[in-house]
Amino acid sequence: MENTDFNAGQPGDTRKRIVQAFVEHVLQTGRPPASVFKFAQDLGISEEEFYRYFTSFQGVKSDVWDQIFDETFAMMHAQEVYQSYSAKEKLLSFYYTWVEVLKKHRSYLLALYEGHPNLHKITPQEVRSFREKFKEFAKGLIQEGKAEGEIVDRKYISDKYDDALWLKTLFLFQFWLKDTSVSFEKTDVAIEKTVTLAFDLIGRTALDSFVDLAKFLYQSK
Amino acid sequence: MSSTQPEQDHIPTSKVQRASKFIGAGAKVGGNYIKHYAKKMVNPSLSKEELHASNAEDIYASLSELKGSALKVAQMMSMDKNLLPRAYQDKFTMAQYSAPPLSYPLVVRTFQKAFGVAPEVLFDTFTTSAVNAASIGQVHQATKNGQTFAVKVQYPGVADSVTSDLRMVKPFAHRLLNMNEKEINHYMEEVEEKLLEETDYKLEVQRSTEISQACHHIPHLNFPTYYPALSSARIITMDWLEGDHLKEWLQTNPSQEDRNKIGQALWDFYHHQVHLLKKVHADPHPGNFIVQQGVTLGVIDFGCVKVIPEDFYRGYFSLIKKDSLLNETQLNQIFFDLDFISSLDSPEEQAYFKGVFKEMIALLGKPFHAATFDFADDAYFSQIFALGDRVARDKMFRNSRQARGSRHGLFINRTYFGLYSLLNQLKAHITTTKPEWLQ
Repeated sequence: MENTDFNAGQPGDTRKRIVQAFVEHVLQTGRPPASVFKFAQDLGISEEEFYRYFTSFQGVKSDVWDQIFDETFAMMHAQEVYQSYSAKEKLLSFYYTWVEVLKKHRSYLLALYEGHPNLHKITPQEVRSFREKFKEFAKGLIQEGKAEGEIVDRKYISDKYDDALWLKTLFLFQFWLKDTSVSFEKTDVAIEKTVTLAFDLIGRTALDSFVDLAKFLYQSK
Repeated sequence: MSSTQPEQDHIPTSKVQRASKFIGAGAKVGGNYIKHYAKKMVNPSLSKEELHASNAEDIYASLSELKGSALKVAQMMSMDKNLLPRAYQDKFTMAQYSAPPLSYPLVVRTFQKAFGVAPEVLFDTFTTSAVNAASIGQVHQATKNGQTFAVKVQYPGVADSVTSDLRMVKPFAHRLLNMNEKEINHYMEEVEEKLLEETDYKLEVQRSTEISQACHHIPHLNFPTYYPALSSARIITMDWLEGDHLKEWLQTNPSQEDRNKIGQALWDFYHHQVHLLKKVHADPHPGNFIVQQGVTLGVIDFGCVKVIPEDFYRGYFSLIKKDSLLNETQLNQIFFDLDFISSLDSPEEQAYFKGVFKEMIALLGKPFHAATFDFADDAYFSQIFALGDRVARDKMFRNSRQARGSRHGLFINRTYFGLYSLLNQLKAHITTTKPEWLQ
C-alpha cells in the first residue's frame, strides 16, 4: 500500500482504500484483520468512517468478489468472438475468463478459503452480490439457450437452472483452489466437463422424449 | 466419420471415468465372444473374421472417445498392420483421421495462456471450429496478411494422462495382439517415452524445422514452414498446405507415373532420414501426408521422431545384406546385440527363433535386394501378413520368457511397415536404394 494517500477526501477513494488495505492485510498476514477498530486505526481513518462504507469485513470481501465478477465480465465481453458464441460457449468463456481473473487474486483467496472443507464456508453474505450478478448472467444465457433450442423448457425445473449453475460455480472454485497442475490445466478440463454435463442435462434428452411419448399415449387413450 | 460425430467437449480425464470406458469395451468384447460362440453352435461355418469385426468396432468406439494416448495406441496398432487381423486394421485406420473436437472457448483460453491474447488478435481470421483433428490436438485454419496457416492446438491434460492411459490399454493389447505381459511392458515403455515427447510441441517445432531443412533438396517433397514465434508448448503454427490427404488423392485415380513420383519421394525421404540423419519421422500413416498439385508430397506432422542410436543402426541394417554375405557367427552376434535371442534361451529356442527371424528379415529386406521393387505386388504383402499372423499365434512366442527384439526396433519396424504399406496403397514402382556401406 505504498500509494496510500491520506489526504484523499473523496468518498470513492476511501472505499477503495479500505478494500485495498484489507486485501493487503490478508496477503501479508494470511488472515483477515483482528478487528475493525485496529484495521481502521492502521489505515488512519476512524472506525466510524469504516462503517460509513461497510458494515463488516464481510462487506469488504463481498466487494472484492464483486470486482472479480466485473473484471471477468468486462474481459469476456472485450473478446469480439463472444457475441457469436452459443449459450454453452458463453458459459465456457465466462468460466475460462473467470479462472484467469481468479489467478491474479490466488494468494488472497487461498489465504481466506483454503482448507475449508465445504462450500458453505464461503458465507452467502460474502458472495451475495457476486452471486446475484452471476445468476442474472446465467438467466440471460438460459433464456438465450431456450430461444435457440439448446435448452429445453421444463416446468418448475427450468426455473432452478440458474441455481444449479451457481452451485457448479462454487464447485469449480473449490476445484481451482485445490488444483496444483501446471497452469491449472486440470481446472480447464473440469470446466469443459462440467459445462458439457450441465448442457447435456438441460438440453433435450431421452427423458424428454419419453415424457412426451407418455403424454401422447395418455391423451390418446 | 467426422461428419457424423457430435462435437465432444470433454475428455474423460479422471482415472475412474477412463477405466469405466475401457471396462465398457471389455464387457462388450466379452459379449461378442459369447455371441460368437452362441452363433457358432447354430452355424458352425461362422468365421472368426466376423468376431474380430465386432470386437474391433466396440474397442474402437471406446478408444475414440478417450482421445489422447489411448487413441494414439489405436493408431499404432493400426500401423503395425502385420500384427493385427484384417478386421481390426480397417477400423483402427479410422482413428488416424478424426476424433471429436474441443470447444472454441478452450482454444481461446489456450491461446491466452500461451500468448496473452485471443487467436483473433494474432491472426486476421481464425476458424472457430476445428478443420481437422489430430490425435492429441486439433487443427484450425488461420490467415494473416494473405498467408494461410495451419494451427494445431493440443488438448489440455494430455501429457498428464499418458501414463495412466497406457496402463489401461495394456490388457487390451494383451488380448488383441496376443502378446505376453513381458513383451507388452517392453513395448509400452518405448511407446510412453515417444508419447510424452509428442505432447511437447516445442520439441516438435524444433525437430520439424531441423528435418525439413535437412530434407529440402529431395525432389517432389515439400514441407511447411514452422513459426516458433507463433508456437508454444501447446500450439504449433505452420504453413497451410493445400492439397488432398493421401487416401483422398488415391480415390481420384492418379496415373501410375504420379503414384511412382509420390512413392519415390516417400522412399527417398525415409532413406535420407534413416541413413543420413539417423533421425526418422516414425509415424508414416496416410494422415500425415498431403499430395499437392504438380504432384508434390507434403509432410505435415513431426510429432513422433525416433532418434536411431548408432550401434543399433549398424546391427539392424547389416541384416539387410543378402543372406550369403553374412556368416553364421556374425549373424549370431547381431541377433544377440539386438536382443532377438539371449543367453537365457535353450539351444532349441535359439535355433527356432533364429529361423523365424531369418525368415522375417529375408522377407522384409526383399525390396532392398533389387534395384527396383514393385510395391503393388499384393502377394508380397500377403506373405508378410501371413508371417505376422503365424508369429502372433505361435506358442513358442507366446510362452517366451522375454520380449524379443531391441526396443529401438519397435519404432523402426513400425516406420518400415508404415512405409511399405503406404507404398503398397500407392501401388508404386520404386527405385530402392541402400546406404553406401551396404552396397
